[in-house]
Amino acid sequence: MATATVVDRIKEHVGKPQKAVTATVEAGHLKRFAEAIGDPNPRWLREAPPTFLVALAPTSYHLDAAEEYGKGWLNGGNRFEYVEPVKVGDTIAATTLVKDVYEKTGSSGGLLFIIFETEYKNQHGRVVARLRGTAIRR
Amino acid sequence: MQLKAGEEIPELVKHPTTRQLVQYAGSSGDFYEIHYDQDFARSVGLPGVILHGLLKAAYLGQLLTDWLGDEGQLKSFEVSYRGTDVPGKPYRCRGKITRVEGSTAELEVWGEDEGGNRTTIGTASVELS
Repeated sequence: MATATVVDRIKEHVGKPQKAVTATVEAGHLKRFAEAIGDPNPRWLREAPPTFLVALAPTSYHLDAAEEYGKGWLNGGNRFEYVEPVKVGDTIAATTLVKDVYEKTGSSGGLLFIIFETEYKNQHGRVVARLRGTAIRR
Repeated sequence: MQLKAGEEIPELVKHPTTRQLVQYAGSSGDFYEIHYDQDFARSVGLPGVILHGLLKAAYLGQLLTDWLGDEGQLKSFEVSYRGTDVPGKPYRCRGKITRVEGSTAELEVWGEDEGGNRTTIGTASVELS
């Protein structure tokens, strides 16, 4: 069955960190992001709001093999853990790995779940935040 | 700030628009077409363009940081997307303190659509300064 091979192919990536994505927190980007989410708090002119790191350094867990499964992507959920604040001028390196992949059968057919984890480190090499996410293909 | 389990925090009502979805796509780099292309969204079985899950997470993040102000820090924050939401409808963000221990507290947070359905649910942990 074709779908079984998709799961098997993604399984080969489990636990292997992808190449780090590095980006510097720019004041203009923070401002545009705060405007997009409609949060006027002046604190976000110098500090990253809670979900900003995903926008700063989008990491790819959209593995090519998964695109062969179903019709589209859904975001199942996100978990953020904050270690220290991220400020304008910080350079953040994001490293993502696939933690798990599995298939479930729902009422409207098959669902493919990909659990990924991202670790964010600043220019001093300290972990500033972690993200866990569930990407669903259906 | 005195915290008590069972207390609700001040709610936040957001009014997402299609313009905001495009702004969010641009500033987040998430260019998945279900958030700005009506025909594409319908072709994958959606009623039309829908809100980014992470935009709803950002709303709930604002609910928490507005409430905390400079009196505390968010330590962790988890959301689960249970339903889709469309622009042009109000999105009501709410939260309730579930546990208080020393200077830390845990909360239940959720986002409601117009019909009161909890389309995003989650939890948060905060530390008061």
